[in-house]
Amino acid sequence: MSQKQYLKNQIPAVFANLMGMLALALFLLANGNSMHTVLFIFIVWLIILISYLSVTYYMRKKYMNTLLDMTEQLQERYLIPEIMTIPDRADDQVFYQIMKMAEKSMLEKIGEIQSERKEYKEYIEQWIHEAKTPITAMKLLCENNRSSFARDILTELEHINQYTEQALYYARSEHTEKDYSVREINLCDVVHSAIADNKYLLRQSNMTITMDELECMVYTDDKWVRFILNQIIGNAVKYRTGQPALHFSMVKSNDKIVLSVSDNGMGIPQSDLPRIFEKGFTGQNGRTGKNSTGIGLYLCKRLCDKLGIGLTAHSENKGTTIALSFQINDFVSGVQG
Amino acid sequence: MKKKILLIEDDLTIQTQLKTLLAGNGYDVFAVTDFSKAIGQIKDFLPHLVILDIKLPGSNGFEICSQIRTFSDIPIVFVTSSNTEMDELNSIMLGGDAFITKPYNTAILLAKIGALVKRAYPASQTEIISWNEAALHLESSMIEYKGQKAELTKNELKILYYLFRNAGKICSRNDIVDFLWDNQLYVDDNALSVNMTRIRDKLEAIGLTGFIKTKHRQGYTL
Repeated sequence: MSQKQYLKNQIPAVFANLMGMLALALFLLANGNSMHTVLFIFIVWLIILISYLSVTYYMRKKYMNTLLDMTEQLQERYLIPEIMTIPDRADDQVFYQIMKMAEKSMLEKIGEIQSERKEYKEYIEQWIHEAKTPITAMKLLCENNRSSFARDILTELEHINQYTEQALYYARSEHTEKDYSVREINLCDVVHSAIADNKYLLRQSNMTITMDELECMVYTDDKWVRFILNQIIGNAVKYRTGQPALHFSMVKSNDKIVLSVSDNGMGIPQSDLPRIFEKGFTGQNGRTGKNSTGIGLYLCKRLCDKLGIGLTAHSENKGTTIALSFQINDFVSGVQG
Repeated sequence: MKKKILLIEDDLTIQTQLKTLLAGNGYDVFAVTDFSKAIGQIKDFLPHLVILDIKLPGSNGFEICSQIRTFSDIPIVFVTSSNTEMDELNSIMLGGDAFITKPYNTAILLAKIGALVKRAYPASQTEIISWNEAALHLESSMIEYKGQKAELTKNELKILYYLFRNAGKICSRNDIVDFLWDNQLYVDDNALSVNMTRIRDKLEAIGLTGFIKTKHRQGYTL
């Protein structure tokens, strides 16, 4: 609260007091009082007026500062009317009422948008689930009628499936609710199913796949990890070079297991590396005709953050290594016995 | 004896194609068309395994599952397009044995079905496939011909297994590689050639010369 502004607001009151003082002086002088008496009364009046003004200013300032502090500490600032005490002053009460009204309309708007978003998310999920039925049917049709033509379609279907999965997980990742369940899974199984999901894509791009011993149990959600691996494999195929190769390896240390997926593709320029997990970031390679959306790795990062998996990328001139690090500790297995 | 599978799936294309696929993999398949009578048909057909879609017109996979569980312990595989945690949890709670989401990977689906059938009905005899006096021992990974035996690596066994299963037919290189990939052996075209040469060497050593014939530009055949 600015002191100057406060004083400016008090001008009418000060003016009224001065008028009162003038009238009193005229009256007293007309009644034959001495100038000294009048001056004395004036000084006393002024002292009372000034102390009144300063005391009210400080009290007001204190009150306002508490309110400001309270508001600043709130996460949802528009909820301030809910926690402040109802003011005593008539004009403050009007402001309080206005704030209440503003809060209410704000809450209504938020509720409306939230339910709209929820409905939209549900619609997207439902749409994806419905789209999966024809995808499945086409996949079965092609697998039952094998030919090079069917193989091409199967490759495209894997693309379509990847895009629908991406949309599904995007819709899910935007929501704060928990959509995953952590359980003990075999890392090896997830890797194999991720490769199986991209079988025709990998076969068509002549990808050589090698892997170390991956038998290892981690606590995580297998569907999410599978999705993340699918995105990484998809990128490896997209940015492949001459004789593409993909290598899966695992390193176990005290408190974590690191699963690395390395390809020998075109790699990521050092300048792009820090930003590849940003939403909508396409980078040099993505912009040069590879149709990058900047969504895949961003989603991977988001899901990893939610699951508590560390996600890092490493690239030197050629080839990229994406590493997923899973936390393991004796505590989990200890509790499970 | 062929194992019987009952298929409860409302999408017609998937139903017929799944039937073809399973029949091609040595199962006897019966598809339910009237879902309200599913239970009666299970009692009539007495399948070894049930494949059950969750969303069904006029009915629901969970309901059917809990009804089956009142009188039978046969393995139940749930297939669904919605992969929410709730559905998965529900299917396990109600006694489902596996939960597979669409679009399912046929290799994974077949592997799951195979594993469930094997667990529920353990085969008494060890698995041996034979063709023209040559016998392939799956458990011990060996090939036998007139008393002579040769050991096979994982890759070689799977390649021979595929050829034995499709004996008499021409198997294209692509199909063989596909089959190997389905069995988590990521072999490329060159490696297949290397493996074929090794298999032929081993076969010759036990007296099986010219057992695998090459059809130019088409593939291999037994």
